[in-house]
Amino acid sequence: MKIRFWGVRGSIPAPGPDTIRYGGNTSCVSVHTRDGRLVIVDMGTGLMHLGNALMAGAFGKGAGRATILLSHSHWDHIQGLGFFTPVFVGGNQFTVFGPGGSPEVLEEILEGQMDPNFSPLQSLKNFSASFDVRAIQPGEPFEAEGLRITAREHPHGTTTAFAFRIEEAGRVFVYASDVGQPTADAAPSPEAIAFYRGADVLLHDTTYRPEDQATRRNRGFSSYEDAAAAAVAAEAKRLVMFHYDQDYTDDDVDALCASCRAALDRRGGRSIELVPAREGEELEI
Amino acid sequence: MKVRFWGVRGSIPVPGQATSRYGGNTSCVEVRPRGDAPIIIDAGTGLRRLGKSLMEEAFGDGRGHASVLISHTHWDHVQGLPFFSPLYREGNRVDIFARQRDQHLASVFSQQHNLPYFPVPMSAMKADVHFHELLEGARFDIGRAKIACTRLNHPWIAIAYRVDVDGAAVVYCADTAPFTDILFGREFMVTPPALDQPLPADVVAELDRMRASVIALARGADLLIYDTHFTLEEYRLRPHWGHSHPDDAIAIARDAGVARLCLFHHAPMRSDDDNDRILARYREVVRAQGDRFELLSAYEGLELVLGDA
Repeated sequence: MKIRFWGVRGSIPAPGPDTIRYGGNTSCVSVHTRDGRLVIVDMGTGLMHLGNALMAGAFGKGAGRATILLSHSHWDHIQGLGFFTPVFVGGNQFTVFGPGGSPEVLEEILEGQMDPNFSPLQSLKNFSASFDVRAIQPGEPFEAEGLRITAREHPHGTTTAFAFRIEEAGRVFVYASDVGQPTADAAPSPEAIAFYRGADVLLHDTTYRPEDQATRRNRGFSSYEDAAAAAVAAEAKRLVMFHYDQDYTDDDVDALCASCRAALDRRGGRSIELVPAREGEELEI
Repeated sequence: MKVRFWGVRGSIPVPGQATSRYGGNTSCVEVRPRGDAPIIIDAGTGLRRLGKSLMEEAFGDGRGHASVLISHTHWDHVQGLPFFSPLYREGNRVDIFARQRDQHLASVFSQQHNLPYFPVPMSAMKADVHFHELLEGARFDIGRAKIACTRLNHPWIAIAYRVDVDGAAVVYCADTAPFTDILFGREFMVTPPALDQPLPADVVAELDRMRASVIALARGADLLIYDTHFTLEEYRLRPHWGHSHPDDAIAIARDAGVARLCLFHHAPMRSDDDNDRILARYREVVRAQGDRFELLSAYEGLELVLGDA
């Protein structure tokens, strides 16, 4: 699997000179399989740039196909969809797996973003590509693009977000953005740790420093301490930091990374490699 | 008055190195009458940083008052509102003005703040929020400022604003297509129409009337901020997107006799170097044509002092 980061920011895109190194686009990650098939996780503004890159290949000729996994439908995870050029090329095929419980509800959620008051596209029906919407049933593994995918619902403020465990021939990538325990003394359940267990790459929400999380607990995000604890408990090989707060500068993220390294070491995770997600960077499993 | 640009981009925010000089935030302009509360035009992502700046003033103590003039409710003109800190402080007052829609404005705007899209509903915001529905050609006062508006040529309809205060006038015309090829309403256009076909007489008359109203609104303005999302070449490929280009903006500025024309609503993939080139090219055009207005290109942080500062 090749994992590439197109958007690593939380809540709202954060353009500016102080977010250039890590990037200011909202959540979007691509996963290319060994045989070149594509799974996209989340549709933040990073999706526009992924789409522009894809247009150079089969998607530009209307011969592309991809599966899209949607963790939840907050703006920063869907706002790139209307700017994803491959959906405007007839012949391309997309299958979206996401929340809502039924395809009708999920389609209505995505349709809401295209409401003519807000979007000149007016409707998903104006996409030229085929766009098949399916609801995720958590805990039931499914196959997509030759990968085995399992979703798990995690607490996220007033709602929940799906984490995804993506497996290819014994290699494991876990995407766990937008997860936060409701209280300071709550810990991830044993089932959540089991879901992360043995991941070659565990991408985990590191929105906050612990002191910022303490004043914004209700927003449902993790601190780097939560991420480090999860990575150690699940014996992950690599931990990817992700979904940085929109107010954090590049220097802040550097500091977040150093603190996360120290937290891993302190918790017995010295052997865990730490990777702060940066736009445009690629990891191979 | 002071005019400050907080977001100059169209369609979608574009963070990154290639846009770091002009800025990647979507549309938001602050008009600050001397000694008075801010009048904010459009609420794109630039509004977030403006909000943080306002919290350093009376808004931080819950004593602030802001008026927000919305050109239209496409995402790139409203998506900063949920991140506008003054809305979350009790005691602040925020007046939001926009063109009347089929639904009440509160209902339109609240969609952005509701589950499953956003965790904090508008009803939970602590500031005192008032919506004002504007009809075609509305005129009203905000403090000492006189506000006028007129319809623009954009899908689902946008409006332009003129703010007169402190002996100066700023006019904001975004988003709009030229008044020459397509009359925009509510229909979705899959493919662009042919640009060389004659239009029906009633469409020509309506477009002419709209253009004349924009010229009248901008007449003698100190600053005209204009949608130049496209270059002329790009416009010819996508005339059905509802955006204009510098050649059209220059013609409007000339006919309205403005003092300054500011290119605005830069396309997302337009790099800083592209913007530099476009500005240089059209400064040359303006000079060669003998136009008397100054040509600017909007960037985040650009601040202009107009009239009695």
